[in-house]
Amino acid sequence: MANINLKDREIECKIVYYGPGRCGKTTNLEYIFKTFRKQVTGDMVCAKTEGDRTLFFDFLPMGVGKVKGFDVRIQLYTVPGQVKYASTRKMVLREVDGLVFVADSLEVRREKNALSLKDLHQNLKEYGLSIMKIPLILQYNKRDLAEQNIPIMSIEQMEKDLNRQLKAPSFPASAVIGTGVGETLKAIIKLTLQSMKQKMGW
Amino acid sequence: MDVKERIKSLLQQADIYQAQGLLNEAKDRYMQAGQIIKQHEDVIRNKSLLSSIAAKVRAINDDMKRLEESPLLREMPEQVQEVIRTKFSFSKDDNLKDMEGAIALAKFGQYKRALREFNELLSREDIRMDVAKNIFRCHMAMDLIEDAAVQYEQWMNGNLFSVGQLGKLRFFLQNILEKKGIDRQLPMPDDPGREKEVTQEEILDISSVGITISEGVKKGETIEYDVSFQSGNVINILISSTDKYLLEHLDVGITLDQVQFYSPMAMFNGKAVVSAKSKIESGPKQGYYSLDIKIKSI
Repeated sequence: MANINLKDREIECKIVYYGPGRCGKTTNLEYIFKTFRKQVTGDMVCAKTEGDRTLFFDFLPMGVGKVKGFDVRIQLYTVPGQVKYASTRKMVLREVDGLVFVADSLEVRREKNALSLKDLHQNLKEYGLSIMKIPLILQYNKRDLAEQNIPIMSIEQMEKDLNRQLKAPSFPASAVIGTGVGETLKAIIKLTLQSMKQKMGW
Repeated sequence: MDVKERIKSLLQQADIYQAQGLLNEAKDRYMQAGQIIKQHEDVIRNKSLLSSIAAKVRAINDDMKRLEESPLLREMPEQVQEVIRTKFSFSKDDNLKDMEGAIALAKFGQYKRALREFNELLSREDIRMDVAKNIFRCHMAMDLIEDAAVQYEQWMNGNLFSVGQLGKLRFFLQNILEKKGIDRQLPMPDDPGREKEVTQEEILDISSVGITISEGVKKGETIEYDVSFQSGNVINILISSTDKYLLEHLDVGITLDQVQFYSPMAMFNGKAVVSAKSKIESGPKQGYYSLDIKIKSI
């Protein structure tokens, strides 16, 4: 849950980018780091393993202005996508306020998307959170690969696969060139702050 | 799609999947392409294509092996560790928050840094026992079993923990060692009544001793003697030849389990051993027996 510091009048929200391995979670944060310089308040911290894969998490702190006189600080995290890092994913999810599920549009990754979403659902449940209630945005990444004649799933297919029950806002994206990254970020920040305001009774 | 187009498409997909780090998918596409080439050798003019694909598959296999063998945990830069320490601790209580930060470091496998943090937290009495247990856990996680045991012994010789706490820590660590099948017996913590081994330098000047007889008809009786001289942890007493019972009892090598040592500053209990016994043959104490008693513990 968001950390509210009454003394310093600060609100800290945690947003986690979740998704299967190599779906583009880190690429999202890298693009945000490069593009939203005014909002970024510190270095992007990456804990990578060999082969440029996320080992623990990526971390990017941002400031997004004031709400009710409180400075709103957003902390963006990614989780390691590889299956073997299950316990790390769970640790990163602790006290999460908002989620971006980055799905890979490649046809060959269809099953991995579903497994990762299931894993997210399970991990949230273990923290007493519901995937149906937590602020959640779906991002269908790697749309640009269609131009290189690589088989990707249609948005309709992905909606049907992943979002039929969730009915979460979703965005097509190409994180490597930045398409959809900003929209996704803005949408999750908006949803998270709305949810926080509701909880606070503001 | 004609065969050549199909192969081209598969190779293109494989290249892109490989660039994306999707190694299984890339390998699968290369192998599919290879199989089609083999099936249509008559129409494929580029004879080096198969060997080129085989080389790519080998490279992918190497990458996969390297990734599989890469450690699940490794020591991270200070900046990453600081994020772990500060952002993965959620308690409102300062002590607990700092403790959670150190535990988070350990959970992320940053054991050396976690140990540094835990050692700093040892000064906080409220959480000291939990901190100590976590220090043991870090040593064990790093397979530094001897370090854990040495740490326990250091605490045993210090005054950071009470005897009761040391007992609990010993039980905790011994239990871990046993579960891991490690045959290492940790010493019991000193209790207040337990004697401590002494060195020559630690002994005060002793003016007299009270020796309690441990067996025979005089069992339980304490007999006091003045110390005639002392050299370090060895004291000398003179016993009259008329004290036959005592002389028979105090042979060389006998351990005296209950001895009171009196010094001008304090009285203390301890153990001693009779290290020498001889009859005085001349002088004013002729006929007396001279006994050297070595102090073993106080």
